[in-house]
Amino acid sequence: MAYYAQLVLNGVIAGSIYALFAVGLTLVYGVFRFINFAHGELIAWGAYLVLLFALPPISLPLYLALIPAIAGTVLIGVAQDRFVYRHLLQGHRITLLIASIGVSYFLRNTLRLIWGSDLMTYGIRPVRGIQFAGLSITPTQLLMAGTAVLFLVILFVLLTRTLLGKSLRAVADNMELAAVMGVPMQRVRVTVWVLAALFAGVGGFLLALDTNLEPAMGMTNMIKSFAAVLLGGAGNVWGALLGGLFIGMAENIGVAFFSPGYKDFISFALIFLLLILRPQGIFGVLTGMR
Amino acid sequence: MDYLLHILIVALIYAVFAMSLNLELGYAGLYNFGHVAFFGIGAYTSALLSLAGLPVPLGMACAMVAAGMAGALLCVPALRLTGDFFGIATLVFAEMVRLFFLNERWLTKGPMGLPGIPRPSWVGTGIAAMPMFLVLCLLLTVSVFLLVRWVAVSPFGRALKVVREDEYVAQALGKNVFSLKTRAVVAGSVLAGLAGSLWAHYITYISPGDFTLNETILVLLCVVLGGKGTNWGPVLGAFAVVFFQEALRFLPIPADLGRLIAPLQGMVYGLALILIMLQRPEGVISEYRRSRVC
Amino acid sequence: MKKMIFLLLGLGVLFCWSPGMAESDEITVGAVTPLTGKLAVYGEGFQQAMLLALDQVNARGGIHGKPMKIAFEDNNSTSKGSVSAIQKLITIHKFPVIFGPAASSNFLAVCPIAQQNRVILIGAESAASAITRCGSYVFRVFPSDRLQGKGVAELALDLGYKEVVLTYVNNDWGVGLADVFKEVFLKNGGRLLDEFAHDEGKTDYRSEVLRIKKNDPEAVVNLTYIKEGATVLKQAYENGVDVQWLMGSASKSPKLVALAGGAAEGVIGTYPTFSQQTPQYRAFKAAWDRKYPGKKLPIFGEYNYDMVKLTARALKAAESMSPEDIRTALMEVSKGYRGVTGDKTFDANGDVGAAYGRWTVKQGGITDYP
Repeated sequence: MAYYAQLVLNGVIAGSIYALFAVGLTLVYGVFRFINFAHGELIAWGAYLVLLFALPPISLPLYLALIPAIAGTVLIGVAQDRFVYRHLLQGHRITLLIASIGVSYFLRNTLRLIWGSDLMTYGIRPVRGIQFAGLSITPTQLLMAGTAVLFLVILFVLLTRTLLGKSLRAVADNMELAAVMGVPMQRVRVTVWVLAALFAGVGGFLLALDTNLEPAMGMTNMIKSFAAVLLGGAGNVWGALLGGLFIGMAENIGVAFFSPGYKDFISFALIFLLLILRPQGIFGVLTGMR
Repeated sequence: MDYLLHILIVALIYAVFAMSLNLELGYAGLYNFGHVAFFGIGAYTSALLSLAGLPVPLGMACAMVAAGMAGALLCVPALRLTGDFFGIATLVFAEMVRLFFLNERWLTKGPMGLPGIPRPSWVGTGIAAMPMFLVLCLLLTVSVFLLVRWVAVSPFGRALKVVREDEYVAQALGKNVFSLKTRAVVAGSVLAGLAGSLWAHYITYISPGDFTLNETILVLLCVVLGGKGTNWGPVLGAFAVVFFQEALRFLPIPADLGRLIAPLQGMVYGLALILIMLQRPEGVISEYRRSRVC
Repeated sequence: MKKMIFLLLGLGVLFCWSPGMAESDEITVGAVTPLTGKLAVYGEGFQQAMLLALDQVNARGGIHGKPMKIAFEDNNSTSKGSVSAIQKLITIHKFPVIFGPAASSNFLAVCPIAQQNRVILIGAESAASAITRCGSYVFRVFPSDRLQGKGVAELALDLGYKEVVLTYVNNDWGVGLADVFKEVFLKNGGRLLDEFAHDEGKTDYRSEVLRIKKNDPEAVVNLTYIKEGATVLKQAYENGVDVQWLMGSASKSPKLVALAGGAAEGVIGTYPTFSQQTPQYRAFKAAWDRKYPGKKLPIFGEYNYDMVKLTARALKAAESMSPEDIRTALMEVSKGYRGVTGDKTFDANGDVGAAYGRWTVKQGGITDYP
């Protein structure tokens, strides 16, 4: 019994991180109406930039290294838009998608060039998990779940209580109408990219803190958080949270029944089923940000 | 010069692969980002059957059928999706196929791959087989090229282009959009299966690692570099990409910098995709210009 | 269109400017080596060890007065790249002997090509047991997994672990090793509580760890690489899994301890070993320090060194430079040949034997297990 409970717990923690990634994806989708294939690279770059500032010659403590690293990730996010996507939003959709695949491939290989393909770690000593009722949870995992909740609450407040958040939702509902009504488009688009990169970068750091860093870490997580986006309904922030939790639990519990080699397969199959059965998502509707 | 034969064979196989993607991406406007799945299915089907003792041509035919069937299977659910969602569904499909190859060891030998895949008996073995294999590839590539060109100007091809430009217009014209798209995907998959089986019989060794997202990006680059929706584009793109890859082999690179080559190559591919999309999304050969000339 | 033509022309020029062909007054063999890609970090060391042996061969008069040379060809560390590289070596240069690529999957990809073309292929770091069946032209100076799988099974039984959980990295090396382990372990009265593969290169193995925990074994046989091994050890430690870990040679590295920290303490494993007290080893070490002062001995460097030395002997003894004659000579000169890495006598399949040592992690360092 403890075995299954532990699987659920691990699933919830993995899911809370997927949710952080999914929020960024779904925000971009909600406003710009395209899937940013390079979202995963923001995750990986967030994690690697922390490493850059935490290792010699800079050697900042991890929590301090996080600040310039996240700033760097946000810069990459905004640059993606500034130099590539902005120029393509009006054109053919496939152009945009292929370009985002190109951005993703470029950024991933830049990581490889700088840090190599090998696994890296922040070099934190492993600690025994906290044990209770036969379950085990590490302090890092607690931090992950806590940060995820905190960030999502902040996002909720931002979206519902501030003018900027309201404009953002207005743009997501109908871009032309919002522009006509005098919503500051420039600020909204920058905000979306800053938020997406911020969430991805922080999530990437937490993920790497818990496990390790490797250049391909972004891609797999992007696909999985996409599954979360789909579950929650594209463009729906709360749906993304629930979707993330669901995906995290599904793949962790699935391992009890299938070979662990098929762990990724579970979330992929889920995406597939969802796309077929309910493209509008389980928890929401296709458009709008509830 | 046998080595040149090798490069030509690889380039021709990629040309077939690129043309098959072009059928979906260029003509039908379907964002298939998992095309490597059908290449892989073709390669594995053909390899497994011929390793089991079936004649190679029969294996290749089965590979095309298997890939086509997989394509049809994918279509039923996936074609209800549009644009981005079809893209991600195909991408995920390709990863699922790869995980299947990797984990079903009883069938595919998993990560160990399948070594010693035979070549057609009339082609011969070893180096002696190279010229004949080139002839085989050339014949098939030309046939595929002519087939695709014929499709492009047929009523079916023109209807596809209408679907690509505006699905609703196509519907209003009384076209069955779903059926048109399905036929495009199945045709593309069959040809990708052919390319995959050629690859398997030429390289004589396949493993799941050969069918990753990287291959998808490479073939995507072939198509958009040359010009999607054109007849010559994918062929030209395939030759350029393969020649570029092999040319790197001749660069004198200091041993301690060797580690950097693969990522640099990846960065060049990524950047190429971005730049083509920004500067010349129609590729080197533009569909519209060509049609005006013709 | 014009730009495209220029691009193609440029590439064409690059092609024509290929390195000069082997001249007849020297004896050249080919080598497919990972100089780029993920194995490039090791490739450089292989290359240096081969060049060291080559220097010594040529200092002693080469092959019948002609200098011996090695033409290195990069394989991008992939099987596709290896096939491309060996095609080039066989078809353009027509070398009779080729040193094969590292990583068993790459080696397996090229061996049918060598066999079909009747070119000798020698490996210095490929362990997969399937290579044994590659054919009569394929040799290796590195011991097969069969021997190591047996070694790990004996280790488990010696330590009194009759019931274990077996997990292995899901690739040619791990699967091959696990199969042999299972065969020997089960035959000798062992029992597997559970058995599963884990994927290569993942960062999260918690589900796998939980599966181990569920079975509550005393010992776990974990046949895997360094980073996968370290991650599993670390996450098992975090989850409160206290077992005796038994591992193979591929995870024996200080990096394992660096990545896993205290979680690696007490691991026991096997590895193919050779005495470092032999005159051959001492001569090799001294020569290495002379040629590359201050450089650490590369992983598998000794095997690469032996491979070149043995090949040079065979080339000297061969009646002609045809692969058939060299093959006969290779079988002949290997009989009782003692290299740096021990006895290199080829059996009928072109494999060599090996002695196995045991290692353990003690106070953050890797030492021999008593």
